Amino acid sequence: MNDELVLNEQIDVVALFRPGRTMCEPIKFRRRNGREIVVTEIGLRHPRAHGRRTVHVFDVTDGSADYRIEFDAESLTWRLTREADKW
Amino acid sequence: MVDEYNFEAPLVMHIDLNSCFASIEQQSRPRLRNRPVAIVNRATEHTALVTVSYEAKALGVQPLMRLHDARKLVPSLVALESDPAKYRYVYKKLLAIMQDYSAHVTMKSIDEGIIDFHQAPVSVQSKGLEAIGYEIKQRLKDEVGVAMRCNTGIASNRFLAKTAASLNKPDGLDVITPDNLKQVLGGLKLTDLTGIASRNKARLNAVGIFTPLDFLAASEETLRRVVFKSVDGTKWYRRLRGFEVDDVESKVGRVGRQYVLESFDLTQDEVLQRLHHLCESVGWRMRRQNLAARGVYVYAKAADRQYWHACQVSPLPFYSNQAIYGIARRLFSGAPEGIREIGVHCYELTSMESMGQMSLFADELARERAVVAATDDINERYGERTIVSANTIDTGIYVSQKIPFGSTRYL
Repeated sequence: MNDELVLNEQIDVVALFRPGRTMCEPIKFRRRNGREIVVTEIGLRHPRAHGRRTVHVFDVTDGSADYRIEFDAESLTWRLTREADKW
Repeated sequence: MVDEYNFEAPLVMHIDLNSCFASIEQQSRPRLRNRPVAIVNRATEHTALVTVSYEAKALGVQPLMRLHDARKLVPSLVALESDPAKYRYVYKKLLAIMQDYSAHVTMKSIDEGIIDFHQAPVSVQSKGLEAIGYEIKQRLKDEVGVAMRCNTGIASNRFLAKTAASLNKPDGLDVITPDNLKQVLGGLKLTDLTGIASRNKARLNAVGIFTPLDFLAASEETLRRVVFKSVDGTKWYRRLRGFEVDDVESKVGRVGRQYVLESFDLTQDEVLQRLHHLCESVGWRMRRQNLAARGVYVYAKAADRQYWHACQVSPLPFYSNQAIYGIARRLFSGAPEGIREIGVHCYELTSMESMGQMSLFADELARERAVVAATDDINERYGERTIVSANTIDTGIYVSQKIPFGSTRYL
């Protein structure tokens, strides 16, 4: 299909919470290996329900790869769940 | 019989998201913009394309093509598996935007809807529908994303508004009035009209109607007595002239699901497991709409395109997964070999509240209801399929939830 990697990696995120299209804007995140990724565009933010728990899914890019990061609104944790550097 | 056009101000707006799922993926993954993209329901080369982006269409790729055929045509085609949660979110955003202008909004499917402005406040109507149309386009970009585009059609009835929305894709906005009706219809083929596919086209051709303008020129009597041989002829006569005949609410007649088997050499038990999974899904959908059923219909399509089906109506309504599967399994014992696709539908629907009728097995039914209520409660709290039958515990990876086209009941 394509070269998208499915991951489940806890990450550290700097995000802005303010009114706007996505309400919450991840600015940059750091992966477990220490690599820092600066978000250049948030493609879409959509909520996904896991029963009554909501996870906010952010499809973002740093210009050279696309990432999916997820914010669990209950546990207040961020995870990197997808990465695609070429399509 | 009415022989005039509807000259009232056009107050019906049809909004259609362009290449909906592909556009949403291009919105969420900026590096895919301006590239040929196709959305598929399953990650295999033999799957059919659900939606394709405008860039792919320009290269000759069409929806329903098989992925490996499309790749032969466009090797750089990016195929993505559908992401229902994402599309549902955009559907809800579009619905919310549309509802800001009128209380009378009807979504026809996940990617198109109608706003009826007849009872909208004067402050909204006075803006003018064209201005509102452009405003909605802009709001879609501001509130969902810059890659989102929609086609907008404005007319005095739903049919002409939808026709207007299909005139200039992508991102068009067109108005059909009695003044330009003939000009617009003159540029279309019969099958460009919603509701006219091969069978209706053949009926029309049989009486010498070959173009939409011929269709418009036909008398009401010809359409009613000769072409459609029913009141449908009168409806078409009025529809083409801008009178509203399609403002009818459709009742839920049946709830169902189908599944194309992931492999065509599954054992009978494996096919039954997948049937069981479908029954659980149908039961869950039915109960979420507070419905029970009396009928179960199962079908199977074999490799040689042979279609097999069986159905049964019970005297008393039921809604539990086990009851649905019990009947479906019994019916399925007559299914042929070499199955490629299976489906199950529940029909003769009734409200769950109307199930109060006394039964000889009242205690047993009460126990079943308590178990169903408890499992549904857990599934609602922790997510669908948290509790499932042991038989279907590992079928979820195959029979995953897909986007329902043509209905917005489950969105």
